[in-house]
Amino acid sequence: MTSLQAAETSAPGSLRAPRRGRNRQSALHAGRNLFGYTLLAPQTLGMIVVGLVAVGGVVQLSLTRVNVLAGTREFVGLENYARIFSDPNMAVVLSNTFFFVVVLSIGGTVLALALALLLNQKLPGINIFRAAIFIPALVTTVAWTLVWSFILQPGGLLDGIVGLVGAGPFPWLRGGWLTLGVFAVIQLTKNVGINMMIFLAALQAVPQELIDASHVDGAGPWTRFRHVILPQISSAVIMVFMLMVSGSFKVFELVLLLTNGGPGVQTSVLAFEIFRQAFRLNDIGYASALSVFLFALVIGLIGLIWQFRKRMVFHEAE
Amino acid sequence: MKRSNVLSSRAMRRVPTYVLLIVVSLLFIGPVLWMVSGSFKSIGEILQYPPKLLPEVFRWENYAQVFTLQPFAQQFLNSVILMVLICVLTLVLAIPSGYALARVRPAGAAFIFLILLSGVFIPPEAVIIPLFQTAAQLGWVDTFYPLVIFTSVLSTGPVAMFIMRQAFLTLPAEFEEAATIDGASRTRTMVQIFLPLVRPSIASAVVFTAWFSWNQFLEPLVYLRSQAMLSVPVALTLFEDALAGPRWNVQMAATTLSVLPVLIVFLLAQKHVVSGLTAGGLKS
Repeated sequence: MTSLQAAETSAPGSLRAPRRGRNRQSALHAGRNLFGYTLLAPQTLGMIVVGLVAVGGVVQLSLTRVNVLAGTREFVGLENYARIFSDPNMAVVLSNTFFFVVVLSIGGTVLALALALLLNQKLPGINIFRAAIFIPALVTTVAWTLVWSFILQPGGLLDGIVGLVGAGPFPWLRGGWLTLGVFAVIQLTKNVGINMMIFLAALQAVPQELIDASHVDGAGPWTRFRHVILPQISSAVIMVFMLMVSGSFKVFELVLLLTNGGPGVQTSVLAFEIFRQAFRLNDIGYASALSVFLFALVIGLIGLIWQFRKRMVFHEAE
Repeated sequence: MKRSNVLSSRAMRRVPTYVLLIVVSLLFIGPVLWMVSGSFKSIGEILQYPPKLLPEVFRWENYAQVFTLQPFAQQFLNSVILMVLICVLTLVLAIPSGYALARVRPAGAAFIFLILLSGVFIPPEAVIIPLFQTAAQLGWVDTFYPLVIFTSVLSTGPVAMFIMRQAFLTLPAEFEEAATIDGASRTRTMVQIFLPLVRPSIASAVVFTAWFSWNQFLEPLVYLRSQAMLSVPVALTLFEDALAGPRWNVQMAATTLSVLPVLIVFLLAQKHVVSGLTAGGLKS
C-alpha cells in the first residue's frame, strides 16, 4: 500500500501543484478502484451466488422434510438435527468419523515428517525414493482404492503375504477395527507424499549454521530435532496438520467402493452417510442436517487449531 | 588403501539406510506394480492362491476389453475435456482477482479476499445436495455445466486465487512505476509486465486444478448419468460382472490406463507437479 501511494505522489505534476495533484490523486484512486473491482467481479460474484445457493440452500433444506416423490416440502424446525443425536446408527458413524480425524491427522503428520527426515539425506539415488513415495498422490483416489480392493480380496496379495508366515487369511473388509485400520492405511499412503514434500522444503530451509552449532554444542540427534529443527519447521507442521484435519473428513471413496459402509453402518463415516441418505434413501432433509453438522465440525476444528497455532508456532515465515 | 577403506566403510554404513528406503518405497509403489501385473493376468491366474507375482503370458487382450465393455475412449476424453474446461475457467476467474488483490488493492480488498478464500473451507460433500437440486432445476443433470462451474467457483478457484495472489505479491513495485512512467495503461502493465513473470505460479495453479478435477469422484457420480458422459473415476468402478463380481484383470487394465498419462506428465515436469500439489495442498 505505502509503496503504491509513494508511486502516485511522485508522479509528475503532483509536486508542483498540490491542489491539482489532490484531484489527480483522487481520480487515480477512483480509477484504480474501478480497475480492481472489474478484475475481482467475476470471481467474487460467482462465489457469492454459488456460495449462497450452496450454504444457504443446505441450511434451509435441513429445516424441512422433503418428500421427493410427491415433490412437497414441509418446515419441521430442528427435528432433523434432533434425529442426529437420537439415531443409534449415528453414534457408530460419528465415532468412526472421529477415529479417522484423529488417526489421519496425527498419524498423517507424524508419518509425513518421519518420511521427510528419512529422505532429507544426500545419498545417490535419493530422488528415486522421493518420487516413489510421491506417486500414490498422482493416482486418483478411486484408482488407488480399486487397486487396494484387488490386494485385499480373499486369497489376494495381502492374504498371500501373511500366508507366507503362516497367518491369516483375515477378513480385511468385513467390519470392525481391522477394516477401519485398513482404511486408515490406504488413506494415509495415498496423499502422504504431498505433505512429505512440504516438510522436505521446510527442512531444507533450516539454516545450516543452526545445525552446525548444535553439533558443536554436542547435541544428540533427538535433542537436535526437538530443540533446533522442530521449532524452525513448526509453521509447516501446523499447516500440514490443519490440511490433514480437514482432509480426514473426506474418507468417502474408500467407504463407498470397499464396504458400502457395511456391515450395517459399521464402517460408515459422515461424508458417506450424507451421500447415502440423500441419494440412495432420498431423505434430503436429514442429509442436509448432517451436511450442516459436518460443515460446523470442520469449521470448528480448523478454528480451534488456528487459535492453538498462535501459541505453538515459534518461527512465522511471514 | 586407507582411502578405499574409508569409502567402503561408508558404503557399508549406508546399506541399512538403503534397505529401509527400499522397504518403505515398496509400500507406496508396490500397489501400483501389482496393478500393472494384474492387468496382464488371466482371470484364472488372478483367482489362483497363493498369488503369483508375474503373469505367465502378457495378455494384452485385457486392454482391448477395456474399450469393448465400456466407451472408455469417450470417457477418457470426457475427463480430459472436463479438466481443460475447469482449468480455463479457474484461471479466468483467479488470475485477475489474484492480481487485483495483490497489486491493485481497491478499497475493501481484504474483505473480498476473505470472501473468496472461504471456498477453501467449504467441504464439497456438505454442499452437494443444494447444488444438485439447483442443477436439476436448471436442467444441468447429465451435462458438464455443474461440474465445471461449481468446481471452478467453489473448489479450485479459491486455491488458484491464493497461489496467484502470493505470486504477484512477491514482485517489486518498481516494475509498476516504470511501466506507468513509460505511459503503459493499467491493463497493459498487468498483461505485458506482470503476467509473464508469474508463469511458474500459473503452472502450479494449472497442475493443482488439473489434478483436482481428474480426481473428482462424488460430483461426477452425482451429476452425470449416461455411460457416454461419465468421467474416468466413475467409469473405473463399473467394470463389474453383475453375477461374477469384478472383472479384476480388465478393471486393473483400465486403472493402469488412467494412471499412465499422469505418471508421464509427472516424469516430464516433476518440479511443476510437486510445487503445484504442495501449493494446492490446501484443498487436497
